[in-house]
Amino acid sequence: MARSPESQRLVPSQEHLLLDYVHRLEKHKQDRRAVHIHLSQLKAFHRREQHVRAAANSFEPLVKALQGQLFVLQNSDLVFIYKAEVHPQTETIVQRVRFLFSDDPLLADEGDEGGGFATWYDVEKEFDRILQLVQGLVRVDRRQIAREGARMDTRAALKARQEKGEPLTPEVLGRVEAALERADLSNLVRRQFVCSLSANMVPEPVFSELFISVGDLRETLLPGVNLMSNRWLFQHLTRTLDLRMLAMLSKTDHITISGDISFNLNVSTLLSQEFLTFDDNITARRRGSMIIELQHVDIFADLGAYLFAREFVQEKGYRVCLDGVTHHTLAMFDREELGADLIKLLWHPEFAHLSEEAPETIRTIVRRAGEGRVVLCRVDNRQAVDFGRAMGIGLFQGRHVENLIAEDNRRRELLRLKRRIERG
Amino acid sequence: MAESALSATGPGQDGTSEEVLLRDYLHRVGDNRAGLYAVHVHLSDLRPGNRQPNFIRIAARSFEYLVNNFEATLYPMSNADLILVCRDVPVDEVDSVILKARALFHEDPLTAGEDGAFGDRFTTWYDLSQPDDYVALIGIADQLLAETLQRQRREAEAVAAAGARAMTGRPLDPPTLAAIRQQLQGARLFDLIHQQTAVQVRHGGKGRVLFREHFVSMFELQKRVAPGVNLFGNMWLFQYMTEFLDRRLLAILSRRGLDEGKDSISLNLNVPTVLSRDFQEFHQGLGTLANRVIIEVQLIDALADMGAFAYARDSLRERGYRVLIDGLNPFALQFFDAQPLEADFIKINWSREFLGDDANRRPAALSESVARAGPERIVLARVETEEAVKWGTGLGITGFQGQLVDEIVETMSDRGMI
Repeated sequence: MARSPESQRLVPSQEHLLLDYVHRLEKHKQDRRAVHIHLSQLKAFHRREQHVRAAANSFEPLVKALQGQLFVLQNSDLVFIYKAEVHPQTETIVQRVRFLFSDDPLLADEGDEGGGFATWYDVEKEFDRILQLVQGLVRVDRRQIAREGARMDTRAALKARQEKGEPLTPEVLGRVEAALERADLSNLVRRQFVCSLSANMVPEPVFSELFISVGDLRETLLPGVNLMSNRWLFQHLTRTLDLRMLAMLSKTDHITISGDISFNLNVSTLLSQEFLTFDDNITARRRGSMIIELQHVDIFADLGAYLFAREFVQEKGYRVCLDGVTHHTLAMFDREELGADLIKLLWHPEFAHLSEEAPETIRTIVRRAGEGRVVLCRVDNRQAVDFGRAMGIGLFQGRHVENLIAEDNRRRELLRLKRRIERG
Repeated sequence: MAESALSATGPGQDGTSEEVLLRDYLHRVGDNRAGLYAVHVHLSDLRPGNRQPNFIRIAARSFEYLVNNFEATLYPMSNADLILVCRDVPVDEVDSVILKARALFHEDPLTAGEDGAFGDRFTTWYDLSQPDDYVALIGIADQLLAETLQRQRREAEAVAAAGARAMTGRPLDPPTLAAIRQQLQGARLFDLIHQQTAVQVRHGGKGRVLFREHFVSMFELQKRVAPGVNLFGNMWLFQYMTEFLDRRLLAILSRRGLDEGKDSISLNLNVPTVLSRDFQEFHQGLGTLANRVIIEVQLIDALADMGAFAYARDSLRERGYRVLIDGLNPFALQFFDAQPLEADFIKINWSREFLGDDANRRPAALSESVARAGPERIVLARVETEEAVKWGTGLGITGFQGQLVDEIVETMSDRGMI
């Protein structure tokens, strides 16, 4: 990847993409128009994610027909640049978007003209104005990043609390534990693949993580209680989940497992009688296909126990993965020093807004850990993949990767169909 | 810990302990000793932290392969030692198993020597076909049996004697925790708050007070609200308990206020507490005295949510507080870089168990890690012996806290040296 000043920000924001687009537009500005929709001026309660998404979706048909390009900015504003021939359709769409927010004071004050809601540009005649506007947006974007990030976090935390329910208490925890000892959790086991990605984003599974879906567990056992509300109580609960997971893995007929798998355990579980029994019942070959994920907090809670347990399981043939590493803690741990085979780094959008020297630091850490030994997980979008690749990370896990796998499967299916038809 | 190691592999009530079985076997073989040999694995010499029953159990399992495939018997002694008796088993097979057991404890000074080499303290080999070795091992077996009986007596006495240093009782579990939380709401706690002084020792033996840590005595708390419960028995539930103890502590200190002196104080708090309204209120009462207060945060608490920790740390600093990272053992610094924590102080809890006779397995790595973290920021706590002070000063550490320090502070203040 070429290193322009922009790429130092790791991942281009929409503002930067727009600036880049406008620069390239300079040579093709005839018969182009642009519209800037000022959603940022709306009242905050109208500027919710789903509203902005709905507004952006309205442009989807034109974007798909390659008639225009849409940019959704950090402040929720939309910029649509399109071919003059679809101007009537664009006007209709903007009218429709406006209708979405018709009870907002921004629109109420302006009557039907709607001048404050959208600004229209003829790219050929007003190119300099557009360029100025976009350059201004990029500057604001830089300033706002830190602030916006913090605010979004608080909002997201609040939202999570509202959605996920009442905090867990020791009383409830005791009941959950008792219930878990009897419950059959095999239908709550989820699987997510860790993949390498080819240059054109074709995923190649390397191993898959098995985990008990805490969200579904809550729905099944205790609707309305947030099992994750207190990290210590949750950490305690994971010990019980560990034992259930080991029991399920012992009975392979419960879950069909193919390929190498990973699963989370506590260090104390590795030293328990239950793990020794589990270990007795599986073949040496299967040990080699298993990766045990350990949380770094758990490791440092009793470093001596970790060092012992790690030696024990690695000697048996299992691999060990250091889990829970974030953008805050990445620089603190050395994979080799801790003797882990793999490191899982949690993707966070803040990665895109780190300091200027951060990318080089991260690249160095990844290089030292070994390219094939770092997994970027919680990869929910393309941005995360682009970031990971720029950092030299070779393995990815998350919703976006699952989508890529599904896409790839569809593509293969189509290809098969096509061949059959051709042969037909 | 030594006492729990005993219960894991301890002798049966009926006297058929492994010690007895071994001795009987050795006497029974008599002259039929061709091809017979034994390996004594000295796990009892491990550091206490490595001598935990589950560690020993796992180490003993390494020998199962030999026991299942050859004429070999393993005798797990109640002091955690293992004695393997073999007949005509290829030494190479035994070697590879011992190598695995040794690797399990590779951080322990005990395993520093080379297998079978002179000075190896991990194993002792006995060629039982040789009369000398045979007699020697019978002597060892007798000695181990005598020691076991003696230890059992001692331990019975220790259990009887109240106030053992290690907390005893059944480990904390969720229902007990729920009950304790109920109890704590109304319990009197102010008289359980104790102080311990941390000092900085300078050239020429002169010292100054770094801070006086205010803490709730867990042993006294156990007595008051949870007799028979080992509060340290479950790390995560204990950690949760401290979250609501924090609030009580803050309320008490708010009422009490800081004393007239100029010395700083330190408090152990959870990160969520620092960000809570209770702390806001504590701070408002404190005003400009914040620069006399150091907030101690457990390493795992910081690691659990570094974003929250960094935010808490910065907002504490802005208001004049200083931040200390607590909960490190003497070799923790070798396994992570403390720099990104940006703490004013780092507290290492000294413990004899981490040191072998040579003080450390990897002295270079240790002093390097201390240098990287900044020895001037480190406070060595739980200092109870001269040895600990020597260990610390050897690494350039100048901050000390613990029982020994308390005694020294008393003497120094009597002489007006502090």
